[in-house]
Amino acid sequence: MSRIAHQVSSAVAFGDFVAEAAAAGRLVVQPRMGFSDPGQMRSGLIATKLADATTVGTITLDSYTRVGADGEARRALAEGVALNGYPIVAHEPSTTAAVVEGLRGRGFPVQIRHGSAHPEPIVAALLGAGFTATEGGPVSYCLPYSRLPLRDSVDNWSRSCELLAAVPDAHLETFGGCMMGQLCPPSLLVAISVLEGIFFRRHGLRSISLSYAQQTDAGQDEDAMRALRRLGREFLDGVQWHVVVYAYMGVYPRTPKGALSLLAGAARLAARTGGARLIVKTVAESSRIPTIAENVAALEHAARAAERAGTAPAGDDDSAVYQEARAIVDAVLDLDPDLGRGLVRAFELGYLDVPYCLHPDNAGRTRGHVDGAGRLAWSRIGALPIGHLVTPPRAEGMTSATLLTALTHVERTFDDERLERTAQMTLTTTTAGTTTAPPSPREHLTSPVTRTVMRVQDKALTAAREYLRDNGFTELLPAVIGPVTDPGGRGSKQVDVDYYGHRYKLMTSAILYKQASLLGFDKMFSIAPNVRLEPPETANTSRHLAEFHQLDVEIAGAKRDDALKVVEELVAAMVDRVVTEMPAELEELGRDKDAFTDLLSGAFGRVTHGAAVADLRGLGHAQSADAEIDWEGEAILSRKSSRPFFITDYPKGSRGFYDREDPAEPGVLRNFDLIAPEGFGELCSGSEREFEYARIVARMRETGENPAKYGWYLQMVREGIPASAGFGIGVQRFVRYLCGLDAVWQASAYPKIPGVVSW
Amino acid sequence: MELEKREFTVLVSSVASDSHTWNLVFLQLLLEELGHRVVNIGACVPDDLLIASCVRHRPDLVVISSVNGHGHHDGVRVINELRSHPDLIGTPVVIGGKLGIGGVDNARHTDDLLRAGFDAVFDDSAPIAAFREYVDALGALTAVTA
Repeated sequence: MSRIAHQVSSAVAFGDFVAEAAAAGRLVVQPRMGFSDPGQMRSGLIATKLADATTVGTITLDSYTRVGADGEARRALAEGVALNGYPIVAHEPSTTAAVVEGLRGRGFPVQIRHGSAHPEPIVAALLGAGFTATEGGPVSYCLPYSRLPLRDSVDNWSRSCELLAAVPDAHLETFGGCMMGQLCPPSLLVAISVLEGIFFRRHGLRSISLSYAQQTDAGQDEDAMRALRRLGREFLDGVQWHVVVYAYMGVYPRTPKGALSLLAGAARLAARTGGARLIVKTVAESSRIPTIAENVAALEHAARAAERAGTAPAGDDDSAVYQEARAIVDAVLDLDPDLGRGLVRAFELGYLDVPYCLHPDNAGRTRGHVDGAGRLAWSRIGALPIGHLVTPPRAEGMTSATLLTALTHVERTFDDERLERTAQMTLTTTTAGTTTAPPSPREHLTSPVTRTVMRVQDKALTAAREYLRDNGFTELLPAVIGPVTDPGGRGSKQVDVDYYGHRYKLMTSAILYKQASLLGFDKMFSIAPNVRLEPPETANTSRHLAEFHQLDVEIAGAKRDDALKVVEELVAAMVDRVVTEMPAELEELGRDKDAFTDLLSGAFGRVTHGAAVADLRGLGHAQSADAEIDWEGEAILSRKSSRPFFITDYPKGSRGFYDREDPAEPGVLRNFDLIAPEGFGELCSGSEREFEYARIVARMRETGENPAKYGWYLQMVREGIPASAGFGIGVQRFVRYLCGLDAVWQASAYPKIPGVVSW
Repeated sequence: MELEKREFTVLVSSVASDSHTWNLVFLQLLLEELGHRVVNIGACVPDDLLIASCVRHRPDLVVISSVNGHGHHDGVRVINELRSHPDLIGTPVVIGGKLGIGGVDNARHTDDLLRAGFDAVFDDSAPIAAFREYVDALGALTAVTA
């Protein structure tokens, strides 16, 4: 889609721009972006304007400005300390004018977002700098954000509304749809949003937006959006108004995929239910202030999701959400002809009472929870005027643990969605032990996903071959069968082949032949097929195949650190090539290229096995100190990290005889695994190798192997082989990570899932 | 000697620039589960209100939680003010949360905060168990000295 197509409006006014976009069927998307540095703020606005989406700009203010601590903001600016937003009061008006010069205006309105209960200095500053759109509200910017008495906030917002209303084109958005909304049943959010909208109108605003933020349950959200729009029609007739959706305001998913999926959900909600505008969140939301690029990616991701969303069937606009919200609005409006006084009185009486809000003026007698069906429900209604509509369950005490569970309900749902979906796709194990097969050859090989994934694999392997050849490696074609093969592998079985009456094995790894290769080649690699009959219970781990390939590398005379360096460079070369040359393919797969920013920006992390075990135990996971990290532990560590990292120094006994025991630290192996972030788990294993005959035989005995089986290998070792280090990268696992696939079988053209009889 | 765990008063607070409250609700529930009395003075607490509350309630422990990324900056200012009040020189005061805006760099702020006068710092990479253990140990210590 071309950028030109998004220029639906040349409107100058915020409300007009959104109305014209809505009439053209386009969702307006908007970042929540704010930087203290004027140059960076301007760059952010330019990037927003140029994004491939219908956008409006945002300048989000910092926390010091929000609380009126402008001196503190000035001091931080003087000391060069970065703030978490743009300090519009502390910056000179000319500085702010330069930030938006030539940007703001026709076809690109800019809104100032803050969160202040004493907004007059901010409103004065924004009007002075030529802005006319902002957001807030006497309740929604007081209760959760400040400790100012509600009465004072009402006065402040009355005056601020009047300041705004005196300016043509002024637009004011209520933040009432958020209100610590994570555990607030939607009816109260809708009611507060509408009440603040009415408050704005009564103070002279002619262009208003009502907000909604939730996303605990999609069906409940659609009810809430319909309720909000019905109440808008009932109470805001005659002024210009629209509904804005905020992407989830609670604990955000940590995986990029989960974050994008939650964002797409918000875009779909808005598009399906007549929301006109969406405030996005980014993949970085859970950990830090997002970059400009992450904001743009979020805007474009949301725009695409909205374009695909369709329209929700006309549903019940007399739902429980509507009835509760209407009862609350009516009760509050009846309290006093002056809505400001009415709001204050409503909180005193508990007609408005926000669950878990610590503000001194909030009664604190209501509680919300996520019910068994995953919807937000009341557990206590206090004095809310909805007693005739709601019968809460027997009051249940909230503990710190259940609070955390409830607060992270959405985060866990979206972070785990991939795993859950994978389990559904790959495995329907019944008590009889049958498991569904992957799709048929025709279905799988003609699928656009498979075709794209295979092209990504081809690109990555091409990059690997080029990198390795450029660094002096020779590619050898791998052995497939032999009298003996790698005995390693957690619980997997080898496959026997009848070789002229001798029992040969299919290779479980190339290790023995890799060491042999060094006799003729100092630096070699292979892309080798491996067959390991993994236990059937690994069918649902999403990362086991009975037949797979390794990119095997071995380097004569190398130490472990040399091998780690090659792994880092090789992985970066493959990722960089795919990210650079196949952006469209990654987007088609829903894979955010920003997932690799950390990977491409420096060395990978390193942690010893001992430290990883301690870390896991600290997190309550019972990891054995003497074994490889188990699947679950590996997933936990992987999901904690934003870039790949090495686990080094496994204990002896956990790995094969060829991993070299540290001469300086008996019992510890000079080996490593590479773990991918985001829960994708192990990608690569490697080590410095044992190469001396006596040590190898001793290690074979220690690991329960019969040296007599290893005739040709031991004969060769006795005659002398080079010391070396090397590794094998699981090709399908690596491609799964690159493409962000649900399961590793999707990265194989001919998938063999453990325990599954297939083609 | 058998130590008896003493219930003590914990004052939970955020700092002036931080409007987040779930962290405070969580800490309140957690500390109550550990058997302590909690005075939760909420979000956006100005320095003088924090000091006045500490002087009034004489807490056995002050827990400051901040998650907006300014905590390292605010924390140093707040602890300087607390420690300069004669009644609060020896009061155990800890800080935790998301203390910087630099992701992994947050751990670097720990030293600064300890030097400035906090008894312990729990940045967001520390497991909550570490905080619980600190509170338990402090409870035992208070039982001995009380």
